[in-house]
Amino acid sequence: MKKIVVPGELITEQRKKMGEHVYSFNGKIYSDVIGITDNESAFASVVPLKGCYIPKYGDIVIGLVVTELFSGFLVDIGSFSLCFMSKEGIREPLKRGSVVSVRVSKVNELNEADLSEPRVFYGGEIYSISPVKVPRIIGKNGSMLEVLRRGTNTNFIVGRNGRVWAKGGNIQLLFKAIKKIEEESHLPNLTNKMSEFLLKEKK
Amino acid sequence: MQKNVLLELKSEKVLTNLKDSVRTDGRKLDEYRKISIEKGIYQNAEGSAKVTLGDTEVIAGVKLLPGKPYPDSPNEGTISVGTELIPLASPFFESGPPSTDSIELSRVVDRGIRESKAVDFKKLCITEGELVFIGFVDIYAINFDGNLFDASAIAAIAALDQAKIPKIEDEKTVKDEFSGKLKLERKPILSTFAKIGNFLVLDPDLLEETAMQARFSVATTEDNFVSAFQKGLPGSIKKEDVDSAIDTAFKAAKEIRKML
Amino acid sequence: MTKEEKKVYVNKKGLRLDGRKIDELRPLTIKAGVLKNAKGSCYLTWGQNKVLVSVQGPREVLPKHHSDPLKAIVKFNYRMAAFSVPDRKNPKPGRRDIEISKVCGEALEKAIMLEKFPNTQIEVWAQVLDSNAGSRVAVLTAASVALADAGIPMKDLVTAVAVGRAGGKIILDLNKEEEDAPDAVDMPIALMTSAKEIVLLQMDGLFSKTEWDEAYELAAKALEQIKEKQVQALKEQFLQESMETETKEKIKAEVQ
Repeated sequence: MKKIVVPGELITEQRKKMGEHVYSFNGKIYSDVIGITDNESAFASVVPLKGCYIPKYGDIVIGLVVTELFSGFLVDIGSFSLCFMSKEGIREPLKRGSVVSVRVSKVNELNEADLSEPRVFYGGEIYSISPVKVPRIIGKNGSMLEVLRRGTNTNFIVGRNGRVWAKGGNIQLLFKAIKKIEEESHLPNLTNKMSEFLLKEKK
Repeated sequence: MQKNVLLELKSEKVLTNLKDSVRTDGRKLDEYRKISIEKGIYQNAEGSAKVTLGDTEVIAGVKLLPGKPYPDSPNEGTISVGTELIPLASPFFESGPPSTDSIELSRVVDRGIRESKAVDFKKLCITEGELVFIGFVDIYAINFDGNLFDASAIAAIAALDQAKIPKIEDEKTVKDEFSGKLKLERKPILSTFAKIGNFLVLDPDLLEETAMQARFSVATTEDNFVSAFQKGLPGSIKKEDVDSAIDTAFKAAKEIRKML
Repeated sequence: MTKEEKKVYVNKKGLRLDGRKIDELRPLTIKAGVLKNAKGSCYLTWGQNKVLVSVQGPREVLPKHHSDPLKAIVKFNYRMAAFSVPDRKNPKPGRRDIEISKVCGEALEKAIMLEKFPNTQIEVWAQVLDSNAGSRVAVLTAASVALADAGIPMKDLVTAVAVGRAGGKIILDLNKEEEDAPDAVDMPIALMTSAKEIVLLQMDGLFSKTEWDEAYELAAKALEQIKEKQVQALKEQFLQESMETETKEKIKAEVQ
């Protein structure tokens, strides 16, 4: 059964493999964050309901170019600090304010990330959500993305850092739907509920 | 306070040593460093004292000035404690406005005297509602080798203990004439402990202070009261730590009080 | 002065000046997630005390040389609104504000998993809007809720309460009148309740050792109650109107 836990709350007294956002103390496993845990799972872990974005190797994120340096750009990806992206191999003319989707190519122990493989977006709109809700926007095997895409006809990309870039189709409806997912992300059956919601809103 | 990498490296040894039940400088866990107290060393101050605690050296001076009482306590004087951690005492101290460390230090010393009612504030009254004495206790660290809390608190009490009350004429003090001595009702002694690993050591030196996770101070009086607690730094302590700290503090304070 | 000495702080029925029992808290309400701009926030009322706490970060440390490459640093800012005390308070932070900020920040540092966010700072902004004794424990209790609300990993919530003595009796959660008693002792204490680790402990006044034992027991019991309220406040956010009643009840049952 799934339940909401807060920092310091007991998850299990059994011996289990430890996943994310848990710690053990005196042989028991506790949560370290506010989130949802499933006590039937083989892993003791918590999916956080709140939190910030910590860059991970290989993440695709949506960034905003802040300044140009001699050999690269500084990009804001909503992490703790601005990230460096080398100019090497970049042909697109980037300037302050350019919206790019980039791959995190290196993260050091200070959570500072280097970025590469930019894809520049022209026009469109950006919507920000809490980074911990991104998995719910994507859904199992991208099922939620599919529902949203079909329901709104927009072309959009979700970055791991909680930024959504969208262009074309019914953008307002998309953002409304994403907001609804964010608010109800801790509830079950979200994909079905969203298809119903989008159908209803279309009429 | 700045951090020193060399000290940090050395401090790792402190805990390993403690596990073999030795302190780095060979003391017992509940033993103070060598203490010496000199009183009445500065002529311009109404009371003064110099306290050395191992290599830690602190001076304190008391000035009593006439001033207006607070409206809610017209027949009571007051005291105010200030500490200065000047770069003279240690390369780790910076000049500039008082650091949070020095503010905490002066407030702990201040409360230790005030709340234990060491000084009867009513005796600092000159004319009720109009004129009272305000005691300024200013403490300077001269050499810093850990545990400024205890050194400062002892220095403040020692300086107050022999302070003379200036003679007052026309609401002004008369130079070099005194009407009496300030009498202390109690002599609270602050005892500070460092929690390193699971150990609680009395009177930490600089190395032990670098290694400690938490600092805990207990003030005790001669009539078997605990008059102040202050826990500092990010570490935690347990109820048992507090209990044993209180017992140790009573014993240690008795020895120090004899020297005052 | 003579008038005050006549005050009976605990009467024969065991009731205090404001009608509370010896071990009774003033009414306490906690609400998490109240500010839109903050990463995490909390509004707490505790008797007449009203405090608002917001959390920003983890974010880059400014000035840069304050940063620690091994862990995050906590910047706790305790401020009292000018109108939060009977006289007007000078809004400039005084020595008391700075000391409270320091000890509260240090108390939280033990709970937060700082090593997860090296080189960053976590800012806690605590604003006291109205006060009547015990504002530092109110602020600390609210701050740990705000930190959890910001999704910052913590080992446990930090829960704080003040105990003390007035009129010769050990009592819980002193109000201003009791704090001004001639024999008053005030002891704010904060614990991480599950491991019983003391993260904040201050005391002023004259206490015997047995009184300290008694006060600790009284505080430990009260902290369990307060912790429950903190947990409830955090979970309550996820019980929204828009949910179907079925799931709502299910989660409610879990909370209880």
